[in-house]
Amino acid sequence: MALPVAAVEAAAIDWEIPEQQVGLWQDAWVRFRRNRLAVLGAGLVLFLVLVALLSPLLVHFGLLADPIKQHVESIETGPGVNGHVFGTDILGRDTLARLMIGSEVSLTVGLLVQGIIFPIGLAIGLAAGYFGGRVDNLLMRFTDIWYAFPDLLFVLVVVSVWRLTGPWYVQLIPIFGAIALVNWVGLARLVRGQVLSIKEKEFVEAARSSGTPPLKLILKHLLPNSLGPIIVTLTFGIPNAIFLEAVLSFLGVGIQPPQPTWGQMVLDGYEAIYANPSGVVFPALAIGFTLLAFSFIGDGLRDALDPRMRR
Amino acid sequence: MHLRVSIRAVTLAATGMFVVSACGGGGTTSQNLAAPDKQIINMNDGTEPNSYDPTQQTYTYEAAVGRNVFQTLLVSNAQGTDVVPAGAESYSVSSDGLTYTFKLRSGAKWSDGKAVTAADWVYGYKHLLNPALAAGYVDPFFDSTIKGADAYSSVDVSSASAIDTFLNGLGLAAPDPNTFVITLQHPAAFFKWVVTLWVAPPLRQDIVEQAAGGTFASNDTTKPEAWAQKSSTIIGNGPFMISEIVSKDHVTLVPNPNYWGGAPHFQKIVLWFIEDANTAYAKYQTGDLDAITVPLANVDVVRNDPKLSKEAKVYPKLTTFWMVTNTKKAPFDNADVRMAFAKSIDRDKLNKQVQHDIQQSILSFIPKGMAGYDTSNKAQSFDPAAAKALLQKAGVTADQLNKFKLLTRNTTRNKTINQFIIDQWNTNLGLNMQLDVIDSKTVTSRLRKGDFDLYGPDGWGADYPDQQDWFDIYISSPTLPCPHGFNWGCWSSPAYDALVSKADTELDQNARNKDYKAAQDMLINQAAVAFIFQDYEYNLIKPYIGGLTITASDDQSLPGDLFWHDAYVTQH
Amino acid sequence: MAVIAGRPKRGALLPKRVTAVTDSRLGSLGVFVIRRILWMIPVVFFVIVITFILMHNAAGSPWDKAGGRQLSQVVVDNLNKKYGLDKPVFEQFLLYLWNVLHFDFGLSYQYQGKSVVTLIGEGWPYTATIGTLAFLLIVPVGIGLGVLAALRQNTRVDYATMGFATLAASFPNFVIGALMVVLFSVLTYKWTGGNFFLPAGGWGIDDHLIMPVITLSLLPIAYTARLTRASTLETIRQDYIRTAWAKGLPERLVVIRHVLKNSLIPVVTTLGPTFAFLVTGSVIVETVFSIPGIGRAFVVAVTSRDYPMILGTTVLFSIVIATANLIVDVLYVFIDPRVRLT
Repeated sequence: MALPVAAVEAAAIDWEIPEQQVGLWQDAWVRFRRNRLAVLGAGLVLFLVLVALLSPLLVHFGLLADPIKQHVESIETGPGVNGHVFGTDILGRDTLARLMIGSEVSLTVGLLVQGIIFPIGLAIGLAAGYFGGRVDNLLMRFTDIWYAFPDLLFVLVVVSVWRLTGPWYVQLIPIFGAIALVNWVGLARLVRGQVLSIKEKEFVEAARSSGTPPLKLILKHLLPNSLGPIIVTLTFGIPNAIFLEAVLSFLGVGIQPPQPTWGQMVLDGYEAIYANPSGVVFPALAIGFTLLAFSFIGDGLRDALDPRMRR
Repeated sequence: MHLRVSIRAVTLAATGMFVVSACGGGGTTSQNLAAPDKQIINMNDGTEPNSYDPTQQTYTYEAAVGRNVFQTLLVSNAQGTDVVPAGAESYSVSSDGLTYTFKLRSGAKWSDGKAVTAADWVYGYKHLLNPALAAGYVDPFFDSTIKGADAYSSVDVSSASAIDTFLNGLGLAAPDPNTFVITLQHPAAFFKWVVTLWVAPPLRQDIVEQAAGGTFASNDTTKPEAWAQKSSTIIGNGPFMISEIVSKDHVTLVPNPNYWGGAPHFQKIVLWFIEDANTAYAKYQTGDLDAITVPLANVDVVRNDPKLSKEAKVYPKLTTFWMVTNTKKAPFDNADVRMAFAKSIDRDKLNKQVQHDIQQSILSFIPKGMAGYDTSNKAQSFDPAAAKALLQKAGVTADQLNKFKLLTRNTTRNKTINQFIIDQWNTNLGLNMQLDVIDSKTVTSRLRKGDFDLYGPDGWGADYPDQQDWFDIYISSPTLPCPHGFNWGCWSSPAYDALVSKADTELDQNARNKDYKAAQDMLINQAAVAFIFQDYEYNLIKPYIGGLTITASDDQSLPGDLFWHDAYVTQH
Repeated sequence: MAVIAGRPKRGALLPKRVTAVTDSRLGSLGVFVIRRILWMIPVVFFVIVITFILMHNAAGSPWDKAGGRQLSQVVVDNLNKKYGLDKPVFEQFLLYLWNVLHFDFGLSYQYQGKSVVTLIGEGWPYTATIGTLAFLLIVPVGIGLGVLAALRQNTRVDYATMGFATLAASFPNFVIGALMVVLFSVLTYKWTGGNFFLPAGGWGIDDHLIMPVITLSLLPIAYTARLTRASTLETIRQDYIRTAWAKGLPERLVVIRHVLKNSLIPVVTTLGPTFAFLVTGSVIVETVFSIPGIGRAFVVAVTSRDYPMILGTTVLFSIVIATANLIVDVLYVFIDPRVRLT
C-alpha cells in the first residue's frame, strides 16, 4: 500500500479545501453511493424494512401463513414438511411467517435502542473526554456505578414497575428504555477513550489555536476521526438488543406471546435443538442477515465520512 | 440459559400402583453383577439441594438425597398401597386412634456406628417442628395431626422459652430407648403415611451440638444448621452416606457400613447438578450419565431412535394439573361459566400433540395410580357447543370476558401450554383474551393477593397416596384465608368442607372412600377448577442398571431412588 | 508541552497541571492509581444503595416459590424473622453496611446456612479460570484478525473475517455451545464408537475446557476484530503512516511500531469490561456446560430474590469492573503517551 510521495504530500494538504468548497456531508453521500458494499447494505436494509411493513398485508391477503395459527399436527418440523417452507415451531406455527412478522419487533428493538444509546453514550463520552478533570472523573465514576449494578435486577424492576399493555409497540416502550439504559456505558467509555487520544493531536491543537469554538471542534474534528469504532459498536448493538429482548422474556418481562420476535424464537428453538435445529438456525440467520446489512452500511458510512479518504 | 423445566405441584413421598422394573437380568444372581469397582452410577439430580438437613428439604431433588442418607419410621411399599416398617420394626395404634407406638428397629445404627435410640427420634421430630428454623415442609405435622402442634403458628420465635414450651408440649415421647410414641390430636387414618415423609428421620443431638460449637438456644436459627454444611458431620441412619459434596457440581453417596438392612450393591452413586436438560441428554449419550429425564422436545427423537427407544421408560406420577379461574371475580363465581371454560379445552390435542403424548388427559382430580382414581364422571369433557350454550345460559358476553388475562409463569412449558389453551378458549368460545406472561415470583405474589383472572397450569402432587392429602386442598378454614397456595381460585363449599372433614377423621376405609368420591364429584360438577392432565415421567435408563424399582414418588430424574439399596449394575 | 500554572480554563484543551512534587510520570501515575482506588469506595457504596432499593422494589419475596408447593404463611413469617426481613428497609440497610464493614456479607437464602462469601469463594476459581483462558484467546486472535482485515481491506481475508464476525454475533452463546456439544460430543461419540469425543460438559482441567472457552470467546473475538479493524483503518490513513510507507519501510515494522499502538485505544477500552464480564462468569456458558462457577449465581440470585447473594455478587462485580476500568485508563498512558489523565 505504498503511495507515491507526491500523492502523500498532496493528501497532507488536501483536507482543508473540501471542507470549504464541497461540504462534508454532500461529499460523504457521493462517496457512499460509489461504495458497492455500502449500497448493497442499504438495499438489504430496505428489503428488511419492506418485509416488516408488508408482512401483515401478506398475511391478510392469504399470501403468507398466519404466524399465530397453531398446527398441532406438525410440531417442530423441519424445512419443507407439510408445506411449511422453513418448518414449524413448538406449537406448529409456520416459521417463515413468524420470521417475517417478527421482523417488525426485532428491527424496531435493534434500531431504536441504538438510537437511544447513541446520543446518551456520545454526549457523556464526549463531555468526559473533552472537559477532562473533575467532569471526567465524576462522569466515569458514574459510569462505573452504572456498569456495576445488576442489569437483570434493574430491567426486572423497571419493566415490571412501568409495564405497559397493548400492542407490541406499546409494550416495547419500557423495554427499550431498560435495554438502552443498561447499554449506553460501553459507548460512553469508547467515545471518551477516542476523545482523550485525539484531543492531544497536532491538528486539533492547530484548530484550537486558530480559535475554533469547542462545539465545532468536537463535531468537525473529534467526531469524524473517531467514528469507526463507534459505528462498529452500534452495529454490534443491534443483535445484542434483539437478544436482550429475549432475555427479558426469559425473565418474564418481555413482549407477550404469541407475538413473534426473533430473539424469543431463538430461545424457544434452543429447547428443541436436538429435535429440530432449524428452529434455532433460521431466526439466528435472520439476525445475522440484519447485522451484515448494517455492517456494510456502517463501514460505508465511515469510509464516506472519513475526511482523509480521497477518491 | 433454560433452567428447571418442572412446574409440578410438589414434592412427593408417595407411590403409585405402577411399578416398573428396569430390564437387565432377572434377580441378583452373581453372574449378572458387575464387579464391585464397576458398581458406580451417575445420575442427574438437576438442582443442588438447598440443604442437606432432611428436615429442611422441601423438593424431591433434595429429598432424594435425604431419604437415602436418613431413614424414616415407615416407608411406602413399592406399589404405594401401604406402608412397611423401616426405621421402626413394627407399630401399633391404640383403639381410639390417638396413640401410635413404634417399636424401633433393633440393631439400627448410625453411619458412625452408634445405635439409633428413641431419644434421637424425638430430637429429630423436635428439630423439624422448631418454628424458628422454619422448615418448609412441616405443615403435614402441625396441621391437625400431632398433639400440641396446632400451637405452631402462634409461637413467638424470638423467645427460646416459648419455643421450648411448645416443643416439650408436643405429643412425642421416648418411654424407653427402643420405643417412640406419638400422640395425635384426633384420629387420622392417614397418619401412617405422614411419618413416611423424608423430613421426619431421627437426628443426632451430639453431632448437631458439636458442629454448632456447643449447645444452643432454641431460638438460634443458624447454629442448628452447621452440621449440614460438611459431609463429615452428616451422620445418617439410611442405607447410604455422603462421601463428598462439591458445591454446584455433584454429591457422592457411598454405602453406609452400619446400615441394618445390609450392604447395597452400588458402591458409589454420583448425583450431578446439571441444570440444562439438553446437556444432560448429551451426557447420557456419551455415557457420562446413566439415567436422565428426556427433555420434552426430544421425546419424538428418542421414540424414533432404534437404540434409545429401547432404553426409554414411561410411568405415571401422582400429579394432576388444572386451570384455575378466580371465583372471586365475576362471572367466575358462576359455576356454568367455569364449566364452559372447562369444556372448551381439547385436552387430547394438548396432551397427545403439543405435549408429545407424554402427559395424559384427565377429567377428574385423583390421578391414576392411587385409590380414588375414578373416570366415571365426564362432566368436564371437551364439548365446544355445550360450552357456548353454558355461556349463553349464564348471560355472559364476549366483551365481559375479553378483558381477562391468563396469568402465566415464564417457563417454556407453561408458555407453550397456555398459548395453546388460550387459543382454545378464544376459538371455541369466540373470545379474544390475552396472555399475561410474567416472572414466576411475581406471579406468586399476585396470586397471593388474588390479583388475577385466570391462571394455570396449577397442580398437586401427592405427599402420600391417601386421598386426605388431596381433598384437604379445597377446604376453607378461618385460619387459612383465601387465596392461599393450595387454592388460588378460592372455590369453596360448606357441604364440601363437612364431607371432607368427616372423611379425614373416619377410621373405616370404605366410608372414607365413599365420602371422598362424593367430594370429587362436587369438584368436577361445579368446575372448581378445570382438570387437564396427569403428569407422566419419560426417562432414559441404561440397560445395564438392574433391580431398579421405579415408583410414582421418585424424583423425576432419579428413577428408583426409594429403592436404590436393592439396585445394581450388571456386567456389560 | 508547556506546563501552565493555575487552573485550566473550562473547555480549553490544555495539558493538565503536573505538580512539582510528583514530576515524574510514574509518580503521577502512582498518585492517580491510589486516588482511583479510593474512589472505588463511594462507587461501591452507591452500588449497594441502588441495589438495595431495586431489590426491595422487585415484586415477589424470596419465599414465594417459583412453582409448586408454596410455604405456609407462618413459615414465611418465621423465615422473615430469621433473616431480619421483618425490619424496616432502612434498618436492614444500615445493618447490612455495618456487617459489610466487618466483611460479613450474610447468609444465602437459597443454600441454608451457607455464607455468601463461602458460596462466591467456592465458585469463583472455576469461573475465573475459564474467563481468563477465554481472555487469553480473545486478545491475540481478535486483535490479530482485526489488523489483518484492515491491512487487507476489501480482499477475501477481510470478507472472511467480517463473515465470521457476523455469524458469531448472530448466534447467541447457548446456541453455539449447544451446537458444539451436538457436533463434538454426541455425534463424534457416535461416529468414533465412543473412542474420541469432547466431554459434553462438566469441569476438569483438561479437554473439558475446550468447548466452554471457545464458546465464551467467539463473540468477543468477533467484536474485538471488527473494532480493531475499524480503528486500524483510521490509523493507517494518518499522514505519518503514509509517510513511513512512502519511505519504503517494511509493512510489519510499520504495523508493530506505529499502527498497532495507535489503534489500540478503543480496543483496550472495550477489553477492560470484557475481561471483567468474563471473569465474573457467563450464566449461559456455565449452564450449558454445567460449570460449577458463580456466573449462574448472578442470575439465580435475582430470579430467586436471594438478597444477600444479589448484594454479594454485585459488590464483587463492581470492584472487578472498577479495577478493570482503572487498568484500562492506566494502559491509555502507556499506549498513547500524549493522553493526559486526571
